[in-house]
Amino acid sequence: MLQKKICMLGAFAVGKTSLVRRYVESIYSDAYHTTVGVKISKKVVQANNSEVNLVLWDLYGEDDFQKMNWKHLQGAFGYLLVADGTRPATLDKALALEQKARAEVGPLPFVFVVNKCDLVNDWQFDAALEAQLVAKKWTILRSSAKTGESVEEAFSQLTGKMLG
Amino acid sequence: MADTPATRRALEPAEQASAKGTGPFDELRHLILAPEQEALDRLHQRVADPEARTEDVSSVVAEAIQLRRQQGDDEALSHALAPTIETALRESVRKDPATLADALFPVMGPAIRKSILETLRSFLDSFNEIMDQSFSWQGLKSRFEALRTGRSFTEVVLLHSLVFRVEQVFLIHKKTGLPLGHAIAPSVATQDPSLVSGMLSAIQDFVRDSFHTAEGQGLGRMNVGDLDVWVEQGPYAIIAAVIRGIAPRALRDTLAETLENIHRQYGLQLERFDGNTAPFAAIDGDLARCREFRYKEEPRRKGRGYVWAAAAIVLLLVGGWAGWRWWQDHRWSQLVETLRDQPGLVITSFGREHGRFVIRGLRDRLAADPIQFVKNAGLSIKRGEFHWGAYYALDDAIIQQRAIAQLLPPPGVTFLVEDGVLRPQGSASSTWASDLVRRALLVPGIRAVNLAGLHRNEQTAFDKAKSDIQSLVVTFPIASAALSPSQMAALRAIALRLKSLFASADDLQQPATLEVIGHCDSTGAETTNVFLSQRRADRVVWQLGQLGLPGTRLHAKGAATNEPVRKEDSEENRQYNRSVTFRVTSPGAN
Repeated sequence: MLQKKICMLGAFAVGKTSLVRRYVESIYSDAYHTTVGVKISKKVVQANNSEVNLVLWDLYGEDDFQKMNWKHLQGAFGYLLVADGTRPATLDKALALEQKARAEVGPLPFVFVVNKCDLVNDWQFDAALEAQLVAKKWTILRSSAKTGESVEEAFSQLTGKMLG
Repeated sequence: MADTPATRRALEPAEQASAKGTGPFDELRHLILAPEQEALDRLHQRVADPEARTEDVSSVVAEAIQLRRQQGDDEALSHALAPTIETALRESVRKDPATLADALFPVMGPAIRKSILETLRSFLDSFNEIMDQSFSWQGLKSRFEALRTGRSFTEVVLLHSLVFRVEQVFLIHKKTGLPLGHAIAPSVATQDPSLVSGMLSAIQDFVRDSFHTAEGQGLGRMNVGDLDVWVEQGPYAIIAAVIRGIAPRALRDTLAETLENIHRQYGLQLERFDGNTAPFAAIDGDLARCREFRYKEEPRRKGRGYVWAAAAIVLLLVGGWAGWRWWQDHRWSQLVETLRDQPGLVITSFGREHGRFVIRGLRDRLAADPIQFVKNAGLSIKRGEFHWGAYYALDDAIIQQRAIAQLLPPPGVTFLVEDGVLRPQGSASSTWASDLVRRALLVPGIRAVNLAGLHRNEQTAFDKAKSDIQSLVVTFPIASAALSPSQMAALRAIALRLKSLFASADDLQQPATLEVIGHCDSTGAETTNVFLSQRRADRVVWQLGQLGLPGTRLHAKGAATNEPVRKEDSEENRQYNRSVTFRVTSPGAN
């Protein structure tokens, strides 16, 4: 069987945990985020006619009070980079996290997930920035924890990148 | 005085009744008793007031209890106080258990430890006692194991009776935290191994980061209640065992060994792990073996070397003794083989009997002494024993010795026996020789006698005389058959010797004749030489006849130059050919 460790990176309160909650299996409570700094879940996806077991390390969102433990990223085969489309600061943070991840563990496959796309009125994801990122060959998905939009797709796209 | 106020108070209603009609009396009474009445009122008021009474009691309660205890009647006091104190404690615990726990903390720990120790000790003692008195096979085995491993006897018994269960064993890839293998005991509820493995890795990181452990060090053990998680760290993978109960240390060694084996076997795959667990499919079997771990007798690595040393010495001694015994047997067997080759000895059996090497067989009286062979082989005669039966050996060597012993050959005669035939060698008198044949056939083992090698003494003398005569040369002057005076004298001596020779030949019954041969040198003509040589022979024959020898035994022969005495390479040698020589002929002579 094929197993892959993946991580979920993003600023504090961008909805990382909510985004995947309905789509993954876990035995651990959200309290692990603040205690151990990580919560582990599992997601089985189909790729190339076989099952791939994704072990998802949902890392504590970095904020002013708690630093993310970059050691958890060690050994990951890819990651989901999450930002809140209604808060430009989290977009900047996501870009910074991507840079930092590259510095820590080298280039890894990742998918950039811009969350809360259901809040159309507050949407602040700049088209210019998006074009810039697309030019850098980033895979960008608009998602919503509320509607579940693009969540499955984010996992399968990341799996495809890791296997490709 | 103590009862005065009470008495007065008892009078009060009557006094009040009378006071209604008698004002002055009342006044008088007031005048006389007022101060006392006031004091009485104050007292009354104090007794009636609970607060005041509490205040009074509080100031003496401690002293009162103390006094009561001093009076020696504290049992009643305890009885009286116990329910209240119990209720108070219960209430205190109900309200806030921490208060009492905190208060008791300094005494609870030591008390519990002491209690556990005492319980354990008495348990072990009774256990020991039972086992001491038990001569069961298990008891003896445990004793032997304790001696061998250097553990105490009770420790060994306890290890064997430990109750524990390895519920799960995980093999986790260190870098990714992904599970590579998982073994689980039957009927154990488990969570997804991927999640548990990941979380275990995360917790390790958490501990490392939180407490700043040294690089490369990891979590070794987690414990909650009777559940233990033992973790062994390898360079690329970790092994984690979930144990319920108290497992022996040996399990950790087993985990470490398994992890080492996995690293040895899958080193490269572990290093280049890409999430594909297919190459590690066989690992579950190794983990299952860890999970099925049971305490086995395992020697302690250090200490108790002397047990092994003693065992080695015993082994060495036993080995040495066995080797020495084998070597002795081997040497005795070699001796037996040597004895077998000896004439006159027949070995019928040999072997160890009661610690001695016993050889049985038959021995001819004349055979070699076996004791001498034992000494020559360097063996101790005390360790050997011989039992011989007597017999006549028919070996030629023994027959030969027997013949010598019985026939007593004279000096100059030796005996040789071949295939039972006695062959005497040397010379002896004819009488002894003819007697020998009769006597020899009486010697056991001799079936015939061959006298070919035995010379008679008479014959020897005759042969010598004959040889002497035949070496004599009677010389003549050139072209002459005349004897010089010196040759005449020589001829006389020869005549005497010939007479003796003929007599000896007659004694030997070999009548001898003498041929007198005349020779010439090669200087004259052949016809002359024939004639001259014949004349020289005739001259000597005639002269010998004159000297008393019988003419019938003398024959003259002229050999001319056909049988030269010497090669004519000098004048001196040529002289030898102008001569007469003698040839003795007898029937027995060669």
